[in-house]
Amino acid sequence: MIVKILKKLASLIVILLILSFLVFGLMYLAPGDPAERKLSEQGIAINKETLEAERAKMGLDRPFLVRYGEWLSGIIRGDFGASYKDDMPVGPKLAAGLKNTFILAFSSLLLALIVAFPLSVISAFRKNGVIDYIVRLLSFIGNSLPNFLISILLMYFLCIKLNLFPVIAKGNVQGLLLPVFSLSIPMSGRFIRQMRAEILDQLKEDYVTGMQGRGVKQRYIVMNVLRNSIGHIFTIIALQIGGLMGGSVVIETIFRWPGIGKLVMDSITARDYPVILGFVIVIGVIYVVINQLSDILNHILDPRTSL
Amino acid sequence: MKKKLISLVLIALLALGLAACGNSGSGDKEGGSSSAEPGKKILRAAASFAYPSLDVHKESYGWYTQIYGMSETLFKMNENMGIDPWLADSAEADGTVWTIKLNDKAAFSNGNPVTAEMVIRNFQRVAEVNTSYAYFADYDMKADGDKTLIIDTKDVYPTLINDLTAPATGIVDLDATTDIDNDPICSGPFVLKNFQPEGDVEVVKNENYWGGNVVLDGAIFYYMQKDDPKLLAMQGDEIDCYNSVSSAALAVYQQEPDKYKVVSIPGARLQFYILNKNHLDDAIREAINLTVDKDAIAAYLEGTVSPAVGPFNPSAAYGKVTVPAVDTAKAKELIEGDGYSMGADGFYEKNGQRLTINVAYYAARSLDTIAILIKDQFKEIGIDTTFRAEEDPDATYIADGNFDLALYCMIADKAGDPLYFIKSTLEDGAYYDVGGFDDAHVQELIAQLKQETDKAKRAELANEIIQAAIDDNAFGYVGLFNSTTVLRPGVSGFAENIPFDFYGIDASTTIG
Repeated sequence: MIVKILKKLASLIVILLILSFLVFGLMYLAPGDPAERKLSEQGIAINKETLEAERAKMGLDRPFLVRYGEWLSGIIRGDFGASYKDDMPVGPKLAAGLKNTFILAFSSLLLALIVAFPLSVISAFRKNGVIDYIVRLLSFIGNSLPNFLISILLMYFLCIKLNLFPVIAKGNVQGLLLPVFSLSIPMSGRFIRQMRAEILDQLKEDYVTGMQGRGVKQRYIVMNVLRNSIGHIFTIIALQIGGLMGGSVVIETIFRWPGIGKLVMDSITARDYPVILGFVIVIGVIYVVINQLSDILNHILDPRTSL
Repeated sequence: MKKKLISLVLIALLALGLAACGNSGSGDKEGGSSSAEPGKKILRAAASFAYPSLDVHKESYGWYTQIYGMSETLFKMNENMGIDPWLADSAEADGTVWTIKLNDKAAFSNGNPVTAEMVIRNFQRVAEVNTSYAYFADYDMKADGDKTLIIDTKDVYPTLINDLTAPATGIVDLDATTDIDNDPICSGPFVLKNFQPEGDVEVVKNENYWGGNVVLDGAIFYYMQKDDPKLLAMQGDEIDCYNSVSSAALAVYQQEPDKYKVVSIPGARLQFYILNKNHLDDAIREAINLTVDKDAIAAYLEGTVSPAVGPFNPSAAYGKVTVPAVDTAKAKELIEGDGYSMGADGFYEKNGQRLTINVAYYAARSLDTIAILIKDQFKEIGIDTTFRAEEDPDATYIADGNFDLALYCMIADKAGDPLYFIKSTLEDGAYYDVGGFDDAHVQELIAQLKQETDKAKRAELANEIIQAAIDDNAFGYVGLFNSTTVLRPGVSGFAENIPFDFYGIDASTTIG
């Protein structure tokens, strides 16, 4: 078991190397010249000489593999390089924003689970009942609405109409509530639908029919079904986390949450590749690690699943 | 299990409830233009951009230190695109030598006087840290006493004082400043109280302001990127003013004139197109310019732009050019005169080839909307349109010249002088001279403009140059973005009448 887990973790390194190469390659191939962008933003009349000088200064005139090698060795040492935009180190920039993005993402995940888990269980065990229809309708609506629209609607009703919150939140806890609601509403909708479907699949299994035939009490059946579903539910949650980290960018911008969102949006506009690369790599690492951990956990919970 | 689940839900709800109650929304709204400190006049504004540093000289950070009322330059732009003295009193040129006299009273917020020697050190620093001003390093600069500065530009440089209105040339007390990124000591009417890098900024009145009484006690600039939250914050009485108002928000404000004052003036950011002389006949280019209806485009963009005549604000002395009125009948005549005939499908064709214009654009500054509107206007007279949509115009269609009509947006007038835009678009080999415009007389005029020191003559030259480009149908100047500011009644002095984006609060700003 431990050997398998170690092998699994070793495969992470290979995956991350491939990821880093792909990301660096895509950035290299992407249209747009960061040197041109930088000069243009500074209002400098661009000509061949100034452009070449700036490209040399930014290290953009060197071969792809040399740049990739330098960047990778920096990443391994924890040095994400310097921003093209303002020459400031990327690492501290990312760290400051990521901390707040983590807080937002995991608070939203927690709230979504608190809402979705009981509702999906009730909905599945009361299939085609009134509660099931209501839950399905609400989850359908929640899942259909884009989170930026939910944000504006929440802001309008809770801040302007009901005067419960300020639009300009002050303080971290207060500032966290509306973005958390905005992210967790559509996520709850998705969780309810996926978890309900998983539980319904379990309910079709022979062991459930057998338990019902033997007159086993409903709560024991629920416990068994949940125990057998939990591995898949972990997978559903794990798959959401990566998307959640990326998906919170717009919400952060709307609610002025000091996460990674603004940094990433600005960096994309400015072709600030070191920052974009750093962000993608960090998110990629989180995504891959969480998925691998989910596999390991799944295997521990149900040793029949392969690792 | 059930108990655990219920406990978990209750704990979470309790935490959320406590959090909400602990920072009740209504309790935090400050109401009107008052502040968290009762009796104090604190302006609350939204800012669309925020930067990691307050280093006046680097990047565009100086724009914001100036908007916050912290930094000042030697000269400043006024409402009529003219230049007024600020930290300086006067400037005189004798050939290549400029003599600039500083205001005797000019002083930093710590009481230290602004001296010629300190100004020189600031210019030397900006040359080092900001590529746009690297040329300052080529100048000979010396102080003549405490308050007189002599700059030898070596070549005649008529626009030096225009350059000295640039926010990056703001003057900092370099001796007293210990952390230029987070707390530069400047000379403006406000000093920093709180700075969150890439976040909110709070300033308070400079009690030692050399320019006299400062009306406000302070100001808070909330960093808000998105338009909708700014509108909601205005509706919720959480901010007093902001600029760059979107058309959607403008429509809302205009419905309630007693609650919101909207000021909209033509700004300096220009939407224009380049017509490719290498691809299009003279007649077709003229037909295009007679077809593109700038008034209709401006009307569609709902007050966010004003129709342009030339590239500059028509109120400026160098903005006096003329363009023919829209005339689609004449446009059709020109197309037919060029050998095209109307096909059965409603489009002109010649030798079996449909008259098709490839419009290149990027989806920013409403250029995507303009591209679609132009397509509709072309279709009305029988011209078909294809699109080339790019994310980065500089690296694509501006670089390869593969377009018939290329839309672009840039600040045409950076500091009350036409030379920058003319050099960028009309001079031989200029970065944006990619449509094949080539006029020897215009090149002579540009050479004269570079040397001319008389303002009236500069304006005449600029008008002649731009008129030549218009008459040659090498360009089409579509719209000038309006500088639109919304303010609560009683709020004034938020640079709402100045067509440059880099001014904000000053000593006279009031909240009524």
